[in-house]
Amino acid sequence: MRLSRPERIFNVLNYTFFTLLGVTTLLPFVNLLAKSLSSENAVVSGNVNLLPVGLQLGTYRFVLQDAAFLNAFRVSVTLTLVGTALSLFLTTITAYPLSKTRLRGRKWLLLMFIFTMLFSGGLIPTYLLMHDLHLVNTLPVLFLPAMVNVYNMLIIKNYFEGLPDSLEESAKIDGAGHFRILFFIYVPLSLPVLATIALFFAVYFWNDYFNAMIYITNPSLKPMQLFLKELLAASSDFIRNAALNADEAMNTSPQSIQAASIIIATVPILLVYPFLQKYFVKGVLVGSVKE
Amino acid sequence: MASRPFGASRSRARTPVWKSVRADWDLYLLLLPGICFLLLFKYAPMYGIAIAFKDFRIFDGIAASPWVGFKHFERLIESGEFAAVLRNTLAISLLKIAILFPVPIVVAILLNEMKQMLFKRSIQTVIYLPHFLSWIIVSGLFIDLLSVNGGIVNKWLEQMGFEPVAFFLDNRYFRSVLIATAGWKETGWSTIVYLAAFSAIDPGLYEAARIDGASRFRQIWHVTLPGIAPIIVLMFILRLGSLFEAGTEQILAMYNPTVYKVSDVIGTYVYRVGLGRQEYSFTTAVGLFESVIGFILVLSGNVLSRKYLRRGIW
Repeated sequence: MRLSRPERIFNVLNYTFFTLLGVTTLLPFVNLLAKSLSSENAVVSGNVNLLPVGLQLGTYRFVLQDAAFLNAFRVSVTLTLVGTALSLFLTTITAYPLSKTRLRGRKWLLLMFIFTMLFSGGLIPTYLLMHDLHLVNTLPVLFLPAMVNVYNMLIIKNYFEGLPDSLEESAKIDGAGHFRILFFIYVPLSLPVLATIALFFAVYFWNDYFNAMIYITNPSLKPMQLFLKELLAASSDFIRNAALNADEAMNTSPQSIQAASIIIATVPILLVYPFLQKYFVKGVLVGSVKE
Repeated sequence: MASRPFGASRSRARTPVWKSVRADWDLYLLLLPGICFLLLFKYAPMYGIAIAFKDFRIFDGIAASPWVGFKHFERLIESGEFAAVLRNTLAISLLKIAILFPVPIVVAILLNEMKQMLFKRSIQTVIYLPHFLSWIIVSGLFIDLLSVNGGIVNKWLEQMGFEPVAFFLDNRYFRSVLIATAGWKETGWSTIVYLAAFSAIDPGLYEAARIDGASRFRQIWHVTLPGIAPIIVLMFILRLGSLFEAGTEQILAMYNPTVYKVSDVIGTYVYRVGLGRQEYSFTTAVGLFESVIGFILVLSGNVLSRKYLRRGIW
């Protein structure tokens, strides 16, 4: 198809625009990666652009041997695995009954769930509740409240509603109760949706720092993101600028080590990213573009 | 089993509740854990909202703390501190909406015009990525990039003859940093909804436009934009519903005392003053204020949406 001149110019501009957009998106990573592999002197004097200066791997060696870092990593992995498994289970068994139109009281039950998406008790009442339940500084506090995710539950519910009734009917004729129908018929047929929701939960748990920040003070229970936050805060720009003497500067973590910590914390997400992209995009489409 | 009439209400009039529950006992059993969790973790805290009307003493508990009526709400209205917080919340939120709402739409349209599939997919892979990073990682990336000691942005500024800028410490620039980093993180991801909406547009309309001699640009103007207008309005209404959520997690990860003046928002204020200064009752009142207004906004938005677009949010 022959393109007119304005259209060809548009194409060139379009491709240029997106190249720039891609570069802008990747720039912070490349820069940080370079810094993590550079000597501290080069980093602090501002000589690192996109390529490492004074290449060294000591930072990574240090971080991967740091007990506190490894512990935080372990906590995050545990939290993500346990939290995702439990959340997926709870969300699925909640979605199934709500997908049955003949369930008595369905409308009211749905309303009860959806209402919590619009209105909540707020930070302080929730914190006080956790305090009263003696959940502060425990691992469960980081996943228990999140297990009731109405948005995810609705996605699964909608999917279940789309499955043909004949499945349930023929299973019932064979004498199956709802437990069997759910776990042996519906779940196997819903694997893509469930994978998507599992990934939604996993990313949430891996990235959460806020809940850890307000509930966890025990150092051995700090997940990765909170660990990183404290690492950064200990030598944020604020202190870097204010610390004019060598003593204070010594106590703050070298920038190259911080950079390495961040890069390592990003690796799990990057590893899973191809799956994330595929399933998340589908999930967004299912969740938002409803007829 | 006799065939049931379509509407459930008719069968409801015939069977008493306990019979329906007994018949579907396994369904209700499956539902039970979810409901328990819901009641415990979502509804129980709502009871705690009562402390907004009391002088809460943590050792006395909610019931035993004295009732003070609207005292905290009066303080809210009169507090200069809160007024500044509210100002920041609205300013940052509205700025974010004004700047960051249109951008994904434009990017989606431009992306849609890209015919080279490989390039398009690669770019999409790249721009979706920041969405999956935590705000801690994003703040780490940008604190480093914008740093005064060794950050490349400041180096470029210096090379161009400008003074270096402490972006995270400067009240003139910090909000821009918040908006720019939020854009970096979410713009790519936000295009997905619009890209999906494009595929819902009837290709016949494009055909008709082409036959009438419309250039690509006119096609975008007359077919694409009207086609995604409903989704744009819906997304806008949804966005307005969270007007008071100016990005608490982001700001908590990025702010510091120097820039509280321009970036302390309701969410960060409740955290700092509520948990930090332990002013539980007052900040619960603040939180209640935010929740109620947010609720009204979302409901009104849904009403408007149903009325004019014939579809609601759920």
